[in-house]
Amino acid sequence: MIRSGSTVVVAMSGGVDSSLAAALLVEQGHRVVGVTMKTFCYEGAIENSRTCCGLDGILDARRVCDTLDIPHYVFDLEESFAEAVIDDFVDEYVAGRTPNPCVRCNSNTKIPELLRRARMFGADRIATGHYARMVRDGDDSRLLRGVDRRKDQSYFLWALPREVLQHLDFPVGELTKDEVRRRAAQLELATADKPESQEICFVPSNDYGQFLAHRLGADHPSLRPGTIVRRDGSAVGTHEGYGRYTVGQRRRLGGGARQRLYVLEVRPERNEVVVGESADLYGGWVRLIDLNWFDGAPAPGETVQVQIRHGGRAVAARVEATDADELMLRLDEPQRAITPGQSGAVYRGEELLGGGRIARAA
Amino acid sequence: MRGEDNGLYFDHAATTPMRDEVREAMAPYEAECFGNPSSVHRWGQKARVALEEARERLASALGAKRREICFTGCGTEADNLAVLGSWRRVGTPGAGWVVCSAIEHNAVLGAVERAGHEGASRHYLAVDEDGRVDPAAVDEALTLEPAVVAVMWLNNEVGTVQPVRAIAERCRERGVRFHTDAVQAFGRVPVRVDEVPCDFLAVSGHKIGGPKGVGALYVRQGVEVEPLTYGGGQEQALRPGTQNVAAAMGMARAAEIAVRELESEAARLRGLRELIERGLTALDGVSINAAGAERGPHIMSVAVDGVDPQALIIYLDLEGLAVSAGSACHSGSSDPSHVLSAMGRTADDRGIFRLSMGRTTQREHAEDAVVRVRGVLERLRASAPLPAQ
Repeated sequence: MIRSGSTVVVAMSGGVDSSLAAALLVEQGHRVVGVTMKTFCYEGAIENSRTCCGLDGILDARRVCDTLDIPHYVFDLEESFAEAVIDDFVDEYVAGRTPNPCVRCNSNTKIPELLRRARMFGADRIATGHYARMVRDGDDSRLLRGVDRRKDQSYFLWALPREVLQHLDFPVGELTKDEVRRRAAQLELATADKPESQEICFVPSNDYGQFLAHRLGADHPSLRPGTIVRRDGSAVGTHEGYGRYTVGQRRRLGGGARQRLYVLEVRPERNEVVVGESADLYGGWVRLIDLNWFDGAPAPGETVQVQIRHGGRAVAARVEATDADELMLRLDEPQRAITPGQSGAVYRGEELLGGGRIARAA
Repeated sequence: MRGEDNGLYFDHAATTPMRDEVREAMAPYEAECFGNPSSVHRWGQKARVALEEARERLASALGAKRREICFTGCGTEADNLAVLGSWRRVGTPGAGWVVCSAIEHNAVLGAVERAGHEGASRHYLAVDEDGRVDPAAVDEALTLEPAVVAVMWLNNEVGTVQPVRAIAERCRERGVRFHTDAVQAFGRVPVRVDEVPCDFLAVSGHKIGGPKGVGALYVRQGVEVEPLTYGGGQEQALRPGTQNVAAAMGMARAAEIAVRELESEAARLRGLRELIERGLTALDGVSINAAGAERGPHIMSVAVDGVDPQALIIYLDLEGLAVSAGSACHSGSSDPSHVLSAMGRTADDRGIFRLSMGRTTQREHAEDAVVRVRGVLERLRASAPLPAQ
């Protein structure tokens, strides 16, 4: 829990969760400052209320702050967002992987940057509206899943720099989404009924292929046609550019084959998309790279749980080998579509230990 | 919660609180005397009389004739009417020029840019390190025979007063239209069109204790411009649409008082400005932008070395001191201001903020402001800077 009376800077997207987070902190007697982080240039973009940080979001956050009688500021993060999130997003697809921009945005950009700037004006505590919990024992901070398991957002936070944790709180993590909406309505916050944000904020209409074409040019190697092959190397068709494919995908594979085909693998170096049957999608190993641990890596032999997609179930896995760069996990039961580039968040029960990016099986 | 004290408002260049006298002057025209000044009946006649009285009083405050005042919706609209209206009337698309200083308010810059889209070539007059336009540079620009030259009277970010008289005279000699944006100057320094031979001059209501949503353009008799909008014949068809009589009355009243109090008020504000500037420049790494120029009495642009610009503004606001980053129109953006860039300054490693004062600013506010800035700077510099991600 936060020291009473301290200044807390709350990241406010204009959604109901962060609105209530701010309201709860005000209730608890803190000096609260609302901040909306502007992450990319909206000029010319279609106004989109379904993303988490549109222009509407800034105005909604300001309304809530006015109701709560707290100051509200806008931080312009366009440059660091473009570099850390959008460039990475494009690079990952070019490398034949499927990125997790929301992890990069939350863990690597928004939250650390919020703390950095909060400290500049004398505040040492930050909070967000994530469904996750922070448990403190002295200087020891542990990050747990949110109480509402359907809304739990701890998955997006595995890459948080460990030094941020002791300054960070999640005021709504103990509540369910229904409770959040109810409390927000009681407090007459303007955002109480606002719909959930879902899409990737910088990709209009969720059409990332078009976004890549816009960023890279339509004749970029990742968007040029190539061969669709089976595991045995036999060609079964032509793909529309490997950048448009992700593991587990069924679209854009043509209608020729009698069986239903799925993408098993993307091979940028050969401009190939490998396909197979549904059963071939299952894998029993997860290899994680770009590791981040809040309090050290789990030890070889230990059983942990790994979650390989947002909203997915965490599955038990045994740590087979680990070093500073890589962690090998053997899954208790095989998982479908283990996708290079996606995040593998590692838990011990409720506690998020950290995680890494999923790498191609070596 | 926002905190215990009510805060110190040092952003009068953004907008000012309305005067009681203005509110009183407006009240009848928002209620019983609500008529449309274009109507034939007695309600209309009353409104028309009031509107023309407002026009007369504003004209007299500016040294203009009544027929030379066109009420607009704001200062920006007045600037657009002068620049774009001139370009559209006398410019030659594909061959003509529009000239303005590099440190104009966005209201003029935007209009000039628009003229560019409509076929004008654009020339921007450079300024020196204190933000001054050299009248000799205007001579050079005049050889382009531009449709209009625009140089603001008093800069809104750093306060520099331009040699508008010299520039206006040069334009007049060459038969080129001259527009000056006097939104910040009016009520702070003497502004009279019978002393400066300009063709256009823009003013705004809410910068001088008048209402928002009203401005005016002085258009010298005989000078023709193309209107921006089309409709009825109001404001000599320069600005069609039913006039806001109450706002016009309020603006005229505010203008009269501002002119009446100008001398004493300017002296008083200059004293406060000196007090603040002395206090601030005594601090490490603090300097005043455009310090070498003649400046308006109410504006100071403060540069602080080695602090993050955005953090500085927020910190000051949290401490109850309302200032602005450059001009209020740029808030939210972290781009270096075009004014400081034109003055050859880079804003990368220094915080710049503008303090601007007005009628309600008292000596104890000025002293308090210095104390608060000092406190914030001490804490900003004491806080261990974290490396960027």
